[in-house]
Amino acid sequence: MTDPLYDKTGGDPELAALEAALGDYAHRAPLREPPPRRVRRPARVIAAVLGGALTVLVVVVLGRRGEPGCQGDGAGFAFAVDGAPARCAGSPAARGTLPVGAWLETTGAATADVRIADIGHLTVFGDSRVRLVDTGAAGHRLELARGRIAARVTAPPRLFVVDTPVASAVDLGCAYELAVEPDGRTRLRVTSGAVSLEARGRAAYAPMDTEVLAAPGRGPGTPVALTASAELRDAVARFDAGDRTAVAAIVVAAGPGDTATLWNLLAQTDREDRAAVFARLDALTPLPADISADAVRAGDPDAIARWRDALVDRWMCVGCFGKSKR
Amino acid sequence: MALAHRRAVDVREATVEELVIAAQGGQRAAFGALYERFHRVVHALALARVAACDAGDVVQDVFTDAWHKLPRLREPAAFPGWIVAIARRRAIDAARRRPPLAPSADLAIDPPPRLEAAAALRAIRALPDTYRETLIMRLVEGLSGPEIAAHTGMSPDSVRVHLHRGMKLLRERLGEGGER
Repeated sequence: MTDPLYDKTGGDPELAALEAALGDYAHRAPLREPPPRRVRRPARVIAAVLGGALTVLVVVVLGRRGEPGCQGDGAGFAFAVDGAPARCAGSPAARGTLPVGAWLETTGAATADVRIADIGHLTVFGDSRVRLVDTGAAGHRLELARGRIAARVTAPPRLFVVDTPVASAVDLGCAYELAVEPDGRTRLRVTSGAVSLEARGRAAYAPMDTEVLAAPGRGPGTPVALTASAELRDAVARFDAGDRTAVAAIVVAAGPGDTATLWNLLAQTDREDRAAVFARLDALTPLPADISADAVRAGDPDAIARWRDALVDRWMCVGCFGKSKR
Repeated sequence: MALAHRRAVDVREATVEELVIAAQGGQRAAFGALYERFHRVVHALALARVAACDAGDVVQDVFTDAWHKLPRLREPAAFPGWIVAIARRRAIDAARRRPPLAPSADLAIDPPPRLEAAAALRAIRALPDTYRETLIMRLVEGLSGPEIAAHTGMSPDSVRVHLHRGMKLLRERLGEGGER
């Protein structure tokens, strides 16, 4: 007697259809290279090593004026470099632990895999410079001075932050890429979940499949969908550069895939422009009945935030509401 | 046995015990082979509790943890139950750190799943622990009943019972029209 459920013999069309659909979630990722094992040594060896290390430490401290090393098991983020040499705290390093205060610098062909405590991973691409600012129960903070990183985090919102020269990327979800471009701008591209790009008292909420720029002296701009039209991108660039008349062009160019752009504009426009943005957003995705339209038009932060909460499902749903399937 | 961990094993032919001994001695290829054999079970345990976009990270965390702790595993044959225990604990911890699962959380993976897959996964997650874990191993990861038994330490009879009882409940719930 066949038992398709237990030993996969025989045929059961309903079961096969369920397997085919759920197979989308099957795990296929390769193993990430684990960091070196922590070696447990007898106490006498540890004492001898500590004695020697103390001597070396004095020399290093005097010679380097306190720059931390990267070979210890202390507090910090474990990392492994692939492709080309990297420098950690000024010294060549292929793997180790990035301590608080130290810089990790990659050259052109190098990529570094950095473990973000127990909440995620970071890929540091070539020609990048990152520093661990702080790590602890209250959160983890990095600084990206130049180059590009990709982060994937499993943690409550706002526990992981990356500072760039012009903004801070505050993790609210799963995965994103962050780059400091040669002209000083910061570019954030969210691939999963959501990220808040913050600076100068402003915050841009960038959900999955959007990107946003922050420019020196201006703070974060307005997120646009990766699929946004050239017309919309051009209008958003003008708006972010200070041209308030661009709102009309944004409203005209915005389609079903651009609701994140419109939602962000609600908090960045004055009453008249906000009314136009509201009308377009409401036409594309009607305001829920339990949120006051007058409150949104008046710029009430709570009402605007509640509309965002209602829109999140739409933003995270790939393949529906006009968003293209990647 | 003393030299066993220093000898490179044929990772395709080696038993789990041989792989564990070699990996305890530092052979990364052997540990990679253990990953190949067990990552789907670990992923199923994670997916039973956390969003699809987070489950992959739980898998990597479990195997990183296992790499460090493996030298302290006294009985290599106990590896299946040991890795399952680590995975379950990690998945529960990850679920506690995250807000309650939103329907959209299972759509944010690359490539994106079909909408009916997300609905079916939600229905499975609503089942009791023992059924949902085994069903995810079978329906998502594609493991057969005998493979699930071998990789988790459960008896084949238990796996068969869990699969059939779980599937009966799942069909009832999907048939109610709420999830498909």
